[in-house]
Amino acid sequence: MSRPLFVLLSLIWIAFTGEQVRAEGTPQEIISKAIAEEDAEIQASQIKSLLGKATPEVLQLLRQWKDGEIYLYTDAAGSKTVVIPEGEKDSEDKQIFHGLSDGRILNDAEGKPLKLGSSDVESADTSSSSRMAIKAVMDMAALLDTDLKRRLQAIQNIGLEQDPEKLPELKTALAIEKDSSAIRALNESMAFLEIKSDDPTVQLAACRKLGELQSIPSQDVLKGIIVEASAGGRPELAVAAQASLEQIAVHVRNVNTAGTIFRGISTGSVLLVVAIGLAITFGLMGVINMAHGEMLVVGAYTTYIVQNLFGEGLHLSPFGISMNIPGMNATGWLYNSYFIVALPVAFLVAALVGIGLERSIIRFLYKRPLESLLATWGVSLVLQQLFRLIFGASNVDVSSPVWLSGNWTVNDVQFGWNRLFVIGFAVIIILLTWAVLNKTSLGLLIRAVMQNRSMAACMGVRTDRVNMMTFGFGSGLAGLAGAFLSQIDNVGPGLGQKYIVDAFMTVVVGGVGKLTGTVVSAVGIGVADQSLQQILLSPVLGKILVLVAIILFLQWRPSGIFVTRSRSLES
Amino acid sequence: MNTLLTKREGIGFGVVFFILLVVMPVAEATKLIDPFTLNTWGKYLCYAILAISVDILWGYTGLLSLGQALFFTLGGYMMGMHLMLMIGKLGQYKSDLPDFLVFLGHTSLPTIWKPFYSFPFALLMVILLPGLLAAVFGFLAFRSRIKGVYFSILTQALTYGAALLFFQNDMLMGGNNGFTDFRTLLGMDLRSPGGQRSLYLATGLLLLCIFLFCKWLTITKFGLIQRAVRDSETRVLFSGYSAANFKLFVFVVASVIAALGGMLFVPQVGIINPSEMNTEHSLEAVVWCAVGGRGTLIGPIIGAVSVNILKSWATRAYPDWWLIILGVTFILVVLFMPRGIVGLPDQIKGLLNRMKRKPSETAEIPTAIAP
Repeated sequence: MSRPLFVLLSLIWIAFTGEQVRAEGTPQEIISKAIAEEDAEIQASQIKSLLGKATPEVLQLLRQWKDGEIYLYTDAAGSKTVVIPEGEKDSEDKQIFHGLSDGRILNDAEGKPLKLGSSDVESADTSSSSRMAIKAVMDMAALLDTDLKRRLQAIQNIGLEQDPEKLPELKTALAIEKDSSAIRALNESMAFLEIKSDDPTVQLAACRKLGELQSIPSQDVLKGIIVEASAGGRPELAVAAQASLEQIAVHVRNVNTAGTIFRGISTGSVLLVVAIGLAITFGLMGVINMAHGEMLVVGAYTTYIVQNLFGEGLHLSPFGISMNIPGMNATGWLYNSYFIVALPVAFLVAALVGIGLERSIIRFLYKRPLESLLATWGVSLVLQQLFRLIFGASNVDVSSPVWLSGNWTVNDVQFGWNRLFVIGFAVIIILLTWAVLNKTSLGLLIRAVMQNRSMAACMGVRTDRVNMMTFGFGSGLAGLAGAFLSQIDNVGPGLGQKYIVDAFMTVVVGGVGKLTGTVVSAVGIGVADQSLQQILLSPVLGKILVLVAIILFLQWRPSGIFVTRSRSLES
Repeated sequence: MNTLLTKREGIGFGVVFFILLVVMPVAEATKLIDPFTLNTWGKYLCYAILAISVDILWGYTGLLSLGQALFFTLGGYMMGMHLMLMIGKLGQYKSDLPDFLVFLGHTSLPTIWKPFYSFPFALLMVILLPGLLAAVFGFLAFRSRIKGVYFSILTQALTYGAALLFFQNDMLMGGNNGFTDFRTLLGMDLRSPGGQRSLYLATGLLLLCIFLFCKWLTITKFGLIQRAVRDSETRVLFSGYSAANFKLFVFVVASVIAALGGMLFVPQVGIINPSEMNTEHSLEAVVWCAVGGRGTLIGPIIGAVSVNILKSWATRAYPDWWLIILGVTFILVVLFMPRGIVGLPDQIKGLLNRMKRKPSETAEIPTAIAP
C-alpha cells in the first residue's frame, strides 16, 4: 500500500469533512493535548486528526487511555501534565511517571525523579465522544493493517456493525485498497452500511449490490429489509431485496455443491489411500487379508515412534518389560520434518510384517481364499492385542504439522489444508503404485504372475518370490496409509477396524484387479457419502444408504465398475 | 447316508443330549451344580445353535456368511422387545413404557412396539424379520452370482450397516444401550433358578430339534445338492439345477436358526445391544465351527462349547492374552486342522499311516474340504 498517497487522501477527506481542527505536532503531543482538553468536541476532533496516522505505538497509547492507564498530574503551581507510569511500584505503592508529550521523567524541585502514589494523580477519563473518536481511529488503523487477514476481519466487523457513520472510512480505504478480496469485502461492508441509509435510492442500490456481490452473510439483513419495506409500503425495495436473496440463494447452492464435491473427493481420497494396498493384495493376488486394517495400524504406530525419536523419546512397557528409548530432542523444522522420515519407515516396517505374514501363513492358503480370510482374521486379533499390550489401549498422541490447519477460501468455498493434503497424498500414492506396477521389472513380474501363474512359472519366474514381494508391497502401501491416517485420525489399536469394511467395499465396487477401478470407486463412494450426508443431514444414515447403494450396484455390475474379462468359468 | 443316524452316531448323540437335557438340569435342581453354571451352559447352547447356522452355510454349502451375528441379534431384539414390555411398571420411571422411551421423551408407545405385548407375535417376528432380511439380501446377492469371498464381504457390510442403524436413538431400539433389566417371560421370573432352568431346557430342546432337522436336511436329496454347490457350483448349474434358489433357501434357514438362538440367548444373559451385531461375533462363530469341525453337525456344538469354556477360563486367568490365544488357536486350526476336533482322529490315523509308508511326505497338510 502506498502510504504517502493514503495520507494525502485522508487529508483530502479530512479537509472535505471540514470539521477538523488542524492539530500540530507529534501524535504523542496531540494525544497529550486531547487528554488535557476540556471541550469534548475539540477533544474528539483532535483525536480524529490522528486518523490514518496511527502507528502501533499510537494505537497502544489510545488503548491505554481507554483503559484508564494514562494519568493527569497537577503540580503545585496548578498546571496539568499528562503522565504515564513507568517501572514497578515500590514498597510504598509509588512509582515514577514520565510525561506523555516529551517522554521526560517527572522531576521534583531538586531534579530528582518524583515518585507518586495513586492518590497524587487522577486517571485521564474519556467521554462518549472521545471513545467514539478513539474507536474510529482504531478501526481505520485496522482497515489499513498490512496483514491481509486482519484487514479482512476489520472490514467485516465494520460491515456487521452497520454504523452509517463509518462509511467515509470505508470509502477512503476502498480508494487505496489493491487486494481483490479486500476490495470485495469493502464493497460488501459498504453495502451493509448503505442499506441502513435514509435515502431510498441509496438503500435500493445497496440491496441490488448485495445481490450482485452474492454476499452470504447479508441474507438475514435482506430478510429484515423485506419485512421493513413491506410494512413501510415500499414494494420496490422489497422486490429488490427478494431478487437479491434469490441471487444469493443460487450462489449458496453452488457453494454447497462445490464444497460437497470437494469434501467427497477428499473422503474418497482417504478411502483410496486405505484401499490401495488392499487393491494389490486382494485385487491382484486374491488374498483376503483381514489383517489389512492392522497393517494400517503398524504404519500409524511407526509414525508415532519416529515422531518420538525426533522428540523426547518414548517409554514403552510391553509384557511388563520397561523400555526407555531416547529421542533426539529435535525442535523447529527438524522436528516438523519427522513425517517425511516416517513415511518410508512406515512403508518398510509394514512391508516386513506383511512379508512375515505371507511366508508364515498365507502362502499355504493361496488355493483356499475363504480360509485365508479366517487365518488372517486370527492374525488381526493377535496384532490388535499386541498393539494394546505394547502401546496401551488408549490412543497415542501423534501431532500433525501446523501447516495442516487453516484453509484456503475461493469464492466462499472453503478448501481445508488437511483435505487438500489428503487429496495430494492420494494422488502421489496412486502415481507411485502405477509407476511400480508399470515401469519397474518387479511390476512386470507381478503382472505376469497375476495374469497367468503357471505360464509365468514356465518362463522361469520365481512365482513364490513374486507372491512374497507383491504381498510385501501391498502391506507397505497399507503402512503408508497408516502413517497418513495418523495425521488425520486418532491412533489406537482399533484404528484399522474403522477402515477395513470401507476398504473392502471400495475394492469390490471398483472391480477386482484394476487400479483404475479402485480410484473411480473410492472417489465415487466418497462423493456419494458426502452428498447423502448433506441431503439427509445425518452421517450415519448416509453411510447406511451408501452400503445399500453398493449392494444394489453390484446387482447391476456384479464384478465391479471395471471388469477383467476372462474365459475362465470361475473368474 | 440314507438313515438319519447310524447306530454308532445314534448312541453318541443320545448320550450327549441325555447329559445336556436330563443330567445337568437334574444336577442343578438337586444343587450338585450351581444355577450360575447352568445359566452359563444355557448361553453355550445358544452359541451352539449359532454355530450350527454358520455350519450349514459354510460347512455344507460353502457360503461363508459374516452376517450370522446380525440375525442372531435380530432374533434377540425381537424377543427383547417383548421382554421390555413385560417389565411393565417395574422399571425406573414406573411407566408402562420401556425406560429408554420415557428417557427419550415419549409419552405413548410407538406403533411398531404395540403388537409385541403378545408373545406369539414376538415369536413370529423372531422368525419373520431375520428370514425376510435374509431372503431379500440373499435374493439380491445370489441372483447376481456373488459368491466366495465377495459374499463374505457383503454380509460383513450388511452387518456393519445394521449395527450403525441400531446405534441410532431414532430407531426406538434403545440406541447403544439396547435393552436390559428384563423380569418376566410368560409369567415366569427370569431371575429365579426355576426360570433359568426352564430357559436352559428350552435351549437344549431347541438345539436338539435344530440338530435333527439339519441332520435330516443333509441326508435328503436337497442336502446332496447343497454339498454339490459347495464343491462345484458350475457343475450344479450345468446339471440344470438353479443353484441360486438352493443357496437362498439355505441362507434363509440358517438365518432363522441363528435368530432362534438369539431369541433364547437374550433372556438368559439379560441384555442385548447393537455391539453384539458385529462382524467379530460372526467370525467368532466361524471359529467355533472351524475348531469343532465343519461339515459335520456335532462339530459346531463341540466347538462352540469348548471354545467358550476356554474363553470363560482365559478371560479370567489371562485377560490380556485371551485374544492372542483365540487368534493363534484359530490360525493353527485353519492351517493344521481343517476338519477340526471331530476330524482329528482321522487326521492322526492318516498321518500315522503315511508316516509308515512314505516318511518324506508328512509335511503336506490334508485338505479334505475345499470351499
